[in-house]
Amino acid sequence: MNAKDIGGVAPAAWFALGGLVVVVAVPFVAILCQAIFPEIGTGSFAKPFSLMGTTLADARLLRMTGNTVLLGTCVVIASSLLAIPLGVARALYRVPLAPVWDVLLLVPFMIPPYIATLGWIMTLQPRGYLEQLFGFNLASVLFSLLGMTLVMTFNTFPVVYFAVSRTVEAVGARYADVGRVFGATPARAFRRITLPLSAPGLAASLLLVFAAAIEEYGTPAALGRRAGFDVLVTGIDTRVGDWPIDLPGAATLSLLLVALSLAAFLLQRWILARRSYQTVNGKPQNADKRPLGYLKLPVLALFGAIAFLSTGVPMLAILATALSRTISGGLSPGNLTLDNFAAVFGNSAGALGALANSLTLGVATALLTGLIGIVSAYVVVKTRMRGRALIDIMTVLPNALPGIVVAVGLILAWNMPGLPFTPYNTGFILLLAYCCILVPHTARYATAAFVQIGDNLEAAARVFGATGAVAFRRILIPLVFPSLASAMLLVFALASRELVASVVVAPVGMQTIATFIWRQFEQGSVGLGMAMAFVTIFLTTLLPLLFLSLLRRSSLIRE
Amino acid sequence: MLKSIKGLVAGAVSTLLLAGVAHADITVYTAGPQSLIDKLAEGFTAETGVKVNVFQATTGKVMARIEAEAANPVVDVLISASWDTATDFAKRGWLVPYASPNAEKVPAFLKNDTAVAQGVSALGIAWNTKSGTPKPAEWSDLTKPEFKDLVNIPDPAQSGSSFELTAALAGQDDYRLFKDLKANGAVIAGANAEALNPVLQGAKAAVFGAVDYITFGNKAKGESIDVIFPQSGTVIAPRPVMILNWSKNQDEAKKFVDYILSDAGQALVAKTFLMPARSDVPADRPLIADLKLLNYDAAAVQGKRKEILQQVFDIFGAN
Repeated sequence: MNAKDIGGVAPAAWFALGGLVVVVAVPFVAILCQAIFPEIGTGSFAKPFSLMGTTLADARLLRMTGNTVLLGTCVVIASSLLAIPLGVARALYRVPLAPVWDVLLLVPFMIPPYIATLGWIMTLQPRGYLEQLFGFNLASVLFSLLGMTLVMTFNTFPVVYFAVSRTVEAVGARYADVGRVFGATPARAFRRITLPLSAPGLAASLLLVFAAAIEEYGTPAALGRRAGFDVLVTGIDTRVGDWPIDLPGAATLSLLLVALSLAAFLLQRWILARRSYQTVNGKPQNADKRPLGYLKLPVLALFGAIAFLSTGVPMLAILATALSRTISGGLSPGNLTLDNFAAVFGNSAGALGALANSLTLGVATALLTGLIGIVSAYVVVKTRMRGRALIDIMTVLPNALPGIVVAVGLILAWNMPGLPFTPYNTGFILLLAYCCILVPHTARYATAAFVQIGDNLEAAARVFGATGAVAFRRILIPLVFPSLASAMLLVFALASRELVASVVVAPVGMQTIATFIWRQFEQGSVGLGMAMAFVTIFLTTLLPLLFLSLLRRSSLIRE
Repeated sequence: MLKSIKGLVAGAVSTLLLAGVAHADITVYTAGPQSLIDKLAEGFTAETGVKVNVFQATTGKVMARIEAEAANPVVDVLISASWDTATDFAKRGWLVPYASPNAEKVPAFLKNDTAVAQGVSALGIAWNTKSGTPKPAEWSDLTKPEFKDLVNIPDPAQSGSSFELTAALAGQDDYRLFKDLKANGAVIAGANAEALNPVLQGAKAAVFGAVDYITFGNKAKGESIDVIFPQSGTVIAPRPVMILNWSKNQDEAKKFVDYILSDAGQALVAKTFLMPARSDVPADRPLIADLKLLNYDAAAVQGKRKEILQQVFDIFGAN
């Protein structure tokens, strides 16, 4: 267990620490100050804690917190129910058309949640697309806790699916086979061996789902308010978005959200700390997958049904809206038009500029969070540096910070008078915001991957004369790269569609994809907004796939 | 391959940097429509050569940004969608007094020392003409059985003008109308756009208190929707333009206000279906003189904001 502290680590640790301080600690401290000192915005430290009490004494707070936890838990449970069977089947068996399912289950990542929700509303509400086609609607299901859970689950379960299929694949069938040799039934071998060994990846992804669910704004705002179901994020948005503005109150509520997500994180750590999950130890793996046998049709049907619900329905709704001349015209041939797409490609209202901005920012965010994520995960898992717990905590802090609060924190921090230079009012402030919000993704995935790698591999390299840096570059990076790459793709997708922080912090005159779409919705041009959304989803799905296939050809990673 | 990556990175960096290289002209924060401010900025730059940097969001988000920036503010001109912000900012002493020569034809109730309206929106009933419901003429028509479960109300907590309409109507009959609406299945449904969208598709038949110019815009695009201004009265929301006292470009800012109130600027305002602030500029829609306005004490209503919102939410059981 210990090939530790043999030099070459310190620079990495300093890099991780420095990056995290700039990206995470600076805005977080600003938010903390805002919660404590209500007048910090004008540079004054007067009246500390004067507003915290009133915010925390609000009678609705308990209900909002309870609703937040309830919603997060429901989404986690629903996501596991949906994703684990699919992920395990994909990892251990030869599922026909496997790459196709992977792509189809990747798309929900790329659909911005507020767009997916709007798509579901336009499909299921009275006189929606479902009723226009089949004569009935499901509005009563949609505007309820069940509807919210389902819509959010369809959006987030791919996180779990990809984590499970990758980690179970890495664990392989070998350990379970040993169990079988010793007389375990297949079910028992899976339950007692494969599933527990896959726990790091599973737990990490469930943590991300929980954090995403309690931090998500669009769906609870659109569906929950009508069901009288208010959560902390909608409370925060009311404080920031409605006159009179209550920034200290919003900051206080955000700290509550962060506390919730930290609690979930500590729970996950406690579960994982109890045993070793090392399964990648240099012994050759038998990569052969088994045939599905008589389960082939049911499994295929399951993949098809879930892909249709998570990708098909929202995408069809988006496309139908984008292709409609008017919303009130409904689904009729006479109402069909390509005007909205023509407007996007004709750069109407700066659509192409917004696309370029967001895709650039997405790539930059993925690279930066990937680098910070892998280095900090390495320091946390594979070294005994003092203060590594601090690094670990910093990579999880932003998990539940609502985008809007990160934005306020960044403005408070970087718009202070007297700074020699500031990224504020340049595109870099968006980069900082996205990195802050998304660094938990790469850090969590990389940590889970490092946890599974035996120390003997690095030690072996060192025995054969490799320096720490070489061992890191030649042994560890290739081993964690598949996990890290999928996390970076996720970051790319999330960054290129981030809405809530972008709306507040975007530099003057700069549009992103999400702010463009949001403005179209605000001004009643739903069709144009949906056309932009469709183009975006198409691009953000296609670009990473091209990238991956390039990498595969250069054999940097293998399937 | 390496070259193209280099090119990509260079492009990325220049994109990021370019957004920040403001040639220190004027910075405008607006809660108005993006298309309007784009055209105003373009026209202003063509006329004066002064560049305009724009940040556009909802009133709430614009205010949040100004509050967070308070230590080191950058905005020169602010266009809000709610007159309260003008009152509040004046009270804080953040505004520069300015009377534009072009504001002469702006009626007195749409201007004061530190703010002048850019345009005015009004609230009405947005009604889907293909919904199969009889055309409503009055607010109370929406409590009739034909509109059972078919009415959306924009959230008064999220929309300043919706709040004023709610307060003014509730003051007339002690919330009777809202209780009847609730009994008829009306729901509070998010901000203005969120309330209107289901009416376009037909899930709902009408919005109680929709912002008129967005609805007129949809109608112009061919949506089967219309705006009805009840005879019993409605509320208007003037959109104040203000110059901030920390602005280092006050002369240019004043010129921009002049431009907004010029013939050309007001014509652009009229084109977005807002009512022009100047009474001598025509528009292809009902003007303030054609509307009956509800009589209520705006200051008193704002003072009781919390209580009024609580009452409404108690009735509708949301939030």
